Amino acid sequence: MALGEGAAGSVVPQRLQTRIKRIALVLVAALVAVFVTVPVYVMVAVAVQSPAAVFRGGDVNLLIDSLTLRNFRVLIEDTNTIQYFANSLIVTASSTVLSTALAVAAGYGLTRFEFTGKTVAARAVLFAYMFSPIVLAIPLYVIFFSLGLLNSYFALTMALTAISAPFTIWLMWQYFQTVPISLEESAWVRGASRTRTLWDVVLPVARPGYISAAIFSFAVAWNDFTMSRVVMSNDEMYTITVGASLFLDRVTIGWGETMAVSLLICIPPFLIAVFLQNYLLQGFNVGGLE
Amino acid sequence: MSTVTSVRSSLAEFDERRLLLLATFLPLAAFFTLVWAIPIAYALGMSLFENPTRAASFAGLSNYVEILTAEQFPLFLWNSVLYAVSTTVFSLLLGLGLALVVNQQIRGGSVLRTMMIFPYLLPTLVVIFIWQFLFDPNIGVVNQWLVDFGVVADPIAFFSTIEWAMAAVAVTSVWKFGSFAFFILLARLQAIDPNLYERARVEGASTWQAFRDITVPHLRGAILIILLVRGIWMFNKFDIIYLSTRGGPLNATTTLPIRVYELAFNEVNFGAATALAGIMFFLLAGVAVVYFRVFEPEKEVTH
Amino acid sequence: MARPIHLDSVRKEYRSAGSVHVAVDDLTLSIPEGSFTTLVGPSGCGKTTTLRMIAGLETPTEGRLSFGDEDVTGQSPQDRNCAMVFQSIALYPHMTVRRNIGYGLKVQGVPKDERDRRIDEAAETLQITEQLEKMPAELSGGQQQRVALGSAFVQDPDVLLLDEPMSDLDAKLKAELRVEVQRLHQELDATVVYVTHDQTEAMTMSDQVILLNQGRLEQFAPPGELFDAPVSEYVARFIGTPSTNLLPATVAETDDGYALAGDGFGVLAPADRFADRVGDSITVGIRPQYLSADGGDYELTVIAGVVEQLGTEFVVHGHTPDGTDVDAVSTAFGAVEHGDELVVGFDPGDLFVFDADGRTICHGDALAGETPRQSP
Repeated sequence: MALGEGAAGSVVPQRLQTRIKRIALVLVAALVAVFVTVPVYVMVAVAVQSPAAVFRGGDVNLLIDSLTLRNFRVLIEDTNTIQYFANSLIVTASSTVLSTALAVAAGYGLTRFEFTGKTVAARAVLFAYMFSPIVLAIPLYVIFFSLGLLNSYFALTMALTAISAPFTIWLMWQYFQTVPISLEESAWVRGASRTRTLWDVVLPVARPGYISAAIFSFAVAWNDFTMSRVVMSNDEMYTITVGASLFLDRVTIGWGETMAVSLLICIPPFLIAVFLQNYLLQGFNVGGLE
Repeated sequence: MSTVTSVRSSLAEFDERRLLLLATFLPLAAFFTLVWAIPIAYALGMSLFENPTRAASFAGLSNYVEILTAEQFPLFLWNSVLYAVSTTVFSLLLGLGLALVVNQQIRGGSVLRTMMIFPYLLPTLVVIFIWQFLFDPNIGVVNQWLVDFGVVADPIAFFSTIEWAMAAVAVTSVWKFGSFAFFILLARLQAIDPNLYERARVEGASTWQAFRDITVPHLRGAILIILLVRGIWMFNKFDIIYLSTRGGPLNATTTLPIRVYELAFNEVNFGAATALAGIMFFLLAGVAVVYFRVFEPEKEVTH
Repeated sequence: MARPIHLDSVRKEYRSAGSVHVAVDDLTLSIPEGSFTTLVGPSGCGKTTTLRMIAGLETPTEGRLSFGDEDVTGQSPQDRNCAMVFQSIALYPHMTVRRNIGYGLKVQGVPKDERDRRIDEAAETLQITEQLEKMPAELSGGQQQRVALGSAFVQDPDVLLLDEPMSDLDAKLKAELRVEVQRLHQELDATVVYVTHDQTEAMTMSDQVILLNQGRLEQFAPPGELFDAPVSEYVARFIGTPSTNLLPATVAETDDGYALAGDGFGVLAPADRFADRVGDSITVGIRPQYLSADGGDYELTVIAGVVEQLGTEFVVHGHTPDGTDVDAVSTAFGAVEHGDELVVGFDPGDLFVFDADGRTICHGDALAGETPRQSP
């Protein structure tokens, strides 16, 4: 009797019920897929067609029926886009390397050496992780200003690392806990020094962990607007996010060019999503990223 | 002779160990001191001065008083809370619903999962561009549809009307951050032992009962953490609001982080800006204490 | 070259948050060179800590540790020429089996040709030649364990340490690897120290058994001696399955001399050991295998509970009329059913007698001389 409770209570036959449920599920999934993909599609459609084609007849025409590189050409000819990209790449690369290296070293040390105050350290890292970038940006701005470091790659690298490192450290801290210490001990017993063990055993085994950490620090730095807005005030030093954010204020730049630059900004994250998806999901499972 | 070797080698070992200890902790300590401890202390210090960047004069807590008693402060606080709560709750609902759907192993589930990564990875600026375009009163697709279907008579400039600005920013934020809850909850769902459901079925539980008694308890912790952590982040969010509305129109979307930026860079009042930053710091510290007490997240790494 | 291992008053404590945990306490023993010695005991008894101190992975808080004449107390694990097989197997997931086995040789700077020759030889011995170019993740549990043994083998260590290497394997693989480990011991010129919580493993494989109890040495003896002459109730209970039966008794003075009087029996006892213990509570131990369905100088009544069949033998789990648990093992208990009252016999020569602190007063040989008195 208890067994039949679910089915007995309903008038609809079991099989039909299952069918309805499946259809509902697929509908929801389709709806979300539309919600997620349409905006991205719109970006692509506007970027690869000429404004004349998109806006002909007063309405927005979103079917891609012509392809042109016009928008990209305007970007390159009329704006500093290339310089912005170069700036972004420089600070993103240096911040990614710094943040990852810091996280690997810290994660190893924090898991391999016993010390009191681990709880305090863990809380400090988490607290920093939850911190508001803008609240940190204000004093950093004043400090960099008084040191004459505004508009430098160094200052922005430090600022970006400041906001990505708490999470990468947390991630590596957790990751190193899953690497059994007996792997290292087995190398020591066989005569390998601690440093050699680090190169031969620890780093290769920790690879998935630090790839995740690198992806996340990359994403933070590449997507950042707040820190570069505050630290960089020279047009030549703008990163692509800050540079592009000012495009719409210009008369010469329309939606076509704006979407074209958006498309360009999306290429690195897109490549990550396609090729390094699993490392990314691993990071999510450790607590995601802001 | 053998004693000598052993002493020497144990010294070498000690040195290597100490070297490694230094190599791992020194950068960590230096980094946290340089980019976290010093700036925070510096900001808290500045907040006690009038004109801290030029002719500084000690002002005690007057900056704080000025901030807290400002006529518009309740509005900014309310905007922050409204924005944080609405975006967190809606992205949680969206993420939860979708995670439950994908977990049913429907066809195309893994494609959907990959798709959900995009909004998350798209830079905030790009997300803003896209939604500004979609919501544009003249050329925006959303307005075109609304007018075509007769929902509204005239196009709405969503990002620049007082009634709609906050909603437009919130929709944009949910679109971008909904996947955060989705991935965490999906991972939790997939970690539930399927035997539990089989056992429930054998014992006669209906689908709904199994959901209530197995799924919900397994997700509870994750949901609370998402609410708390995502809530904090959204409360602290600066870029998405600044890029879409600059806090306008007429302060309709000015949250505390936006106000900090305005005070510092538009009004060049670093005393007041750092005081407000200080207030946000203490608010966060309060929430963090609750977070550490209730969830003990540090247990994940100290045990 | 095999070396003897000496531990001299070794103590290891762990301090955490103000409390001190003593893992190993005042341990003194000498493990003969080239022997196969097993460290056994329940979990938490300090056996793994002891092994790790021998390896150099832990430093003793107090005491001295030496290999032969060489004091190695403060020496790092890199300098000890030990090989160790870990409980978790600890194969490097990013290296092929060949590189895994050869890693130690590579670190020591052995040239590649020589390395490959020794790896091939070890692989041959352990029958993993086919697996040499695979990654550890592609191997079965038993194969992984063989690789771990191979890594230890190629090192040609002075001391080979094994930390519960088979605890995760099924019974059949365990039996196979037990033979493998013993073969390695014969081929290697090394002192082998083997940690296990499984007393059967300890009893079947080793020349010497070290039984630890809460960080202290309980008994260090060859397996047979541990079984036949335990120094304490703890040893008698730990070694052998099912566990030794413990029957409470009192030392009584009778007309015929002294007797160990328990529930339904009174075993004559020699005056030289028991004259000054009259009135003391003692415990009489008897192994279930020595309780027989027929014969024996003394008798015991057992009320049968559960009866298990183990191959040709039957294990009766029962209790005496006053409630003391008693197990008995024999091929003759096939017809016993739950609730049956059995009378089992035993000989005084098979008994152990323990004092109230659990230390052994005497073994059966001391009682066997006394003439049994017929029960009234």
